[in-house]
Amino acid sequence: MLLYIVKHLARAVGVFLTVTFATFVVMYGNGAGVARATLGMNASAQDVQRRMADLGLDRPLFVQYFDWLGGLFTGDLGRSYYTGQSVAGALGVRVPVTMSLIIVTLVLTVIISVFLGVAAAYYRGWVDRTVQVVAGLGAAIPSFIVAVVLVLVFAVNNPILPATGYVRPTDSVSGWLASITLPVISILIGTLGAAQIRGSVIDVLSRDFVRTLRARGISERAVVFRHVLRSASGPGIIAFGLLVVAMFGGTIFVEQVFALPGMGQLLNQSAQAGDVPMVMGCVLVTTIVVLVVNLIADLSNALLNPKARTR
Amino acid sequence: MRISKRRALAIVAAPAALALALAGCAGGGDQPSGGEKYDKLILGMTADLTGGWDIVDQPAYQAWGIEAVYQTLCRILPGGEYTPDAAESWEVSDDNRSFTAHLREGVEYSDGTPVDAASVEASFDVLKETASDRYGEITYDSPDDQTITITWPEAQPLLLDRVCTAKLASSDFLASADRDTQPVGSGPYTYDIDASTQGSIYQLVKNPDYWNADAYPYKTLELRVLADETASLNALKTGQIDGTVISSTVYDEAEKSGLEITGVQSGMLMIHLTDRLGEVIPALGDVRVRQAMNMIIDKQAVVDQLWDGHATPIWQPFQLNGQAILDIEDPYPYDEEKAKELMAEAGYEDGFTFTVPTMEGQPWTRLLPYLTEQLAKLNITIEQKALSGPDAIAELLSGDFPVPVWQVGAPTSVEDISIHVLDTGFWNVLHQPNETVTGLWDQIVTGDDDQRLAAQQEINQYVIDNAWFVPILSPYNYYAYDGDKVTIDEVTDPYGGHPTLIDFQ
Repeated sequence: MLLYIVKHLARAVGVFLTVTFATFVVMYGNGAGVARATLGMNASAQDVQRRMADLGLDRPLFVQYFDWLGGLFTGDLGRSYYTGQSVAGALGVRVPVTMSLIIVTLVLTVIISVFLGVAAAYYRGWVDRTVQVVAGLGAAIPSFIVAVVLVLVFAVNNPILPATGYVRPTDSVSGWLASITLPVISILIGTLGAAQIRGSVIDVLSRDFVRTLRARGISERAVVFRHVLRSASGPGIIAFGLLVVAMFGGTIFVEQVFALPGMGQLLNQSAQAGDVPMVMGCVLVTTIVVLVVNLIADLSNALLNPKARTR
Repeated sequence: MRISKRRALAIVAAPAALALALAGCAGGGDQPSGGEKYDKLILGMTADLTGGWDIVDQPAYQAWGIEAVYQTLCRILPGGEYTPDAAESWEVSDDNRSFTAHLREGVEYSDGTPVDAASVEASFDVLKETASDRYGEITYDSPDDQTITITWPEAQPLLLDRVCTAKLASSDFLASADRDTQPVGSGPYTYDIDASTQGSIYQLVKNPDYWNADAYPYKTLELRVLADETASLNALKTGQIDGTVISSTVYDEAEKSGLEITGVQSGMLMIHLTDRLGEVIPALGDVRVRQAMNMIIDKQAVVDQLWDGHATPIWQPFQLNGQAILDIEDPYPYDEEKAKELMAEAGYEDGFTFTVPTMEGQPWTRLLPYLTEQLAKLNITIEQKALSGPDAIAELLSGDFPVPVWQVGAPTSVEDISIHVLDTGFWNVLHQPNETVTGLWDQIVTGDDDQRLAAQQEINQYVIDNAWFVPILSPYNYYAYDGDKVTIDEVTDPYGGHPTLIDFQ
C-alpha cells in the first residue's frame, strides 16, 4: 500500500509540473501586449519596454517559470500585472467562494446520485427510465443555460433568491446559503453521476454472493446498502473524482452568470487579459485540488478493492 | 423494499425542496435593506479597474472608483469646457506651453499630507514615466507650496486635456510599493480596502473634507464588477445595484422592467481608410474608390435595422458636439449606381480585398455581415481576422490592417484630430503624412481661438472631401438606473460614455 501511495504521489508531482509548465508556455510571449494594455492604446514603444522590464516580462521563458516555481516555496505567487494585487491575496478571497460551490455540489451530487442510482438499478422499470431521462437531460443541458433560467424564475420573476453576489458564511449563514443555492443547483444538474452508480449496482446485484446473502435471510436494505453498494462503489468513486474536474469547469460559467467573486471568474478574466500570475495561481489551486481528489479516489478505491492496488 | 410513485416523486423532488428551504431561511441574501436614500450608492461595472488604483493614464470608461478617490487639477466637461477641482484657478500661457495652477488651501490627502505643489509634481512624474509621449519633457516651477507651473517645451493644443486628466496622489503613497492596491487621494471618497474584495466589490466612504463634498450626496459608494450584462441587468432589476451601463440590445428589456434609462450620443463608428496613398492597397489611393465605399453604405438602414434606431447616421468623422462639425448635408448619400460608376471610373470595377480585424465583445461587429454584403456589390471582398488576448490592441494598431472598422471619439475635435487624422495619431494606423492636415494642425497649435476653430473645420472639410473615412453612425450609450433611488439630470462625462459620479444625485 505504501508503494502504491508513493507511486501515485510521484505521478501527481509529474502531472503538476507538466500542467503548470504547459500553461506558462501557452501564456508566455505576450509581454508587449500586456505592457501596452496596462498603459493605454497610445503608449509609446519606450514606455512599453520600460513597463515590460518593470514586470519582468522581458526575461526568457525558463527564467520566468522557475522564478514562479521558486515562489511557491516562499508563498510568493507574484502580483497581478493589471491591478497589482498579490495573487496569494486574491486566491485567499476567491478560493473559498469556489470551494463553497464545489464542496456543497459534490456532497449533494454524491447523496442524490447514490440514491437515484441505487433506486434505478434496484427497481428498474419506470423508476429506472425516469432516472436515466433525468440524468441524461442534466448532462445534456449546459449549466449556464440552467443558471440563466433559474435566475429568471427564482430571482427576477419571483424574487426568492438573490440574482447575483456572494455572502460569506462568516457574515451570514442564511445569506451564504441563499447566495449559493441557485449556483449549486446549476452545477449539480449537470454533474449527477446516477448512471455510473446504476450500472455498477446492476452488475453487483446479479452476482452470486447477493443471492447467497438473500438466501441467508438478510434484509433487503442491508443487502443493498451494506453489501451491494460497497462492492459497487469503486467505479462511482472514480466517477466522482472526475466530476470534481467537471465542476471546476462549471464554476467558470456559473460564477460569471451569478457574478460570484470566485476563482472561476478570476481565471476567466485573467486568461482573457493575459494576466499570467493570476492565471498561474488559479491553475495551481485547480491542479492541486484535482490531484488531491483523484488521489483520495484512487486510495479509497484501493482500500475497498484490493485488486486495484496491483494496477 | 418497495417503492410507490408518490414516494419516488418525493425522492426526486427532494433537492428542489432543499433548495426552497434554503431560500426560505435566506430572506433575500445581500439585497439592500432600504434605509435612507443617501446611505449607499451601488453601481455595477462591466469590467474591473484596468490598472488597479494606480494613477497611470487609464481609460476613463466606468472609472468611477478612480474619480471617487483622486482629485485632478481641473475636470473636463462635455463640449470642451473645463471646471476647477484641486486647482482653485489657473492660467494658460499665451504660447500654449504652460499651465499655472493655484491650489486650494488646507486640502489634504487621506494620509494627512497636504495637496501641495510637491505632490502635484510627484503625480505628474508618474505620467512622465508611463506616458512619456505626452508628458515626458514637462518641467515644473513652484514659487510657493500652493502654486505650480507645468511647462512643455512645445505648444500644446491639448494642454488643458493633458492637465485635467492627470490624477493627484500623495507623494508618500506614490513612493510606496502599494501604489496600485491602496490608493491615497483627496477625492470625494476614500477607499475602504478592508471592506472590499479586489476585482469584485469595491467599497468607498465619503470624504467630508473634499472641497465639493456636497455635490456627492451618498455616504458610501459600492462598485460591483458584474462582467456579464445579463447578470448586471438582473442585479439592477432585483435591487442589488442602483445603476449600470447597458447596451442597446437590452434597452427594451430594461425599459419594460420599469428602469430609468439615460442615453448620451457619443462616438463615431467608422471605416478608417488609412491607406490614402495606396501603398498597401493601391485602389485606396484613388479618392473615387474611397467615395464609392462611402456611397454603398446605407447609413439610415444600418441605424434602423441593425441598431434598432439607437444611433444617428453620421457623415463627418467628429463628435456631433465638436467644434469641427460643419453644417452640411451628407456629401455621399447612399447611391449604389453612382458608387459603381466611381469604381469603374477609377479602374477598379473588379474590386479588391482587405482584412478587417475583429475583437470579441465589440458591438460594431454586428455591422460586418452588412458591410461584407454591400461592399461585395463593388466587388470588394472583406476578410476577417479575430484578434484576442493582450496583444490584440497592439496588433490592431500595428498597421497590418490598413482598413480597421472601429468606434472612436474624444471629448474635443482637437483631440479627435490628434488621434485619427494626424499622421502621428494612433488610429491613423499607417501614419501616412499629409501636408494639408499638418499645415492646418500648426494653425491649431499656434493660432488664436478663431484660427483654431477655423482650422478644425477646414480639416474636417478636407478629410470629408477626400473620403478618409466611411463614417456610419454615432450610437447612443445607455445607462439604466433605479429611478426610486437615483436621480440623473445630466451626464457630464466628456466622452459621453455614462454618467460620472457627480451626476448621481
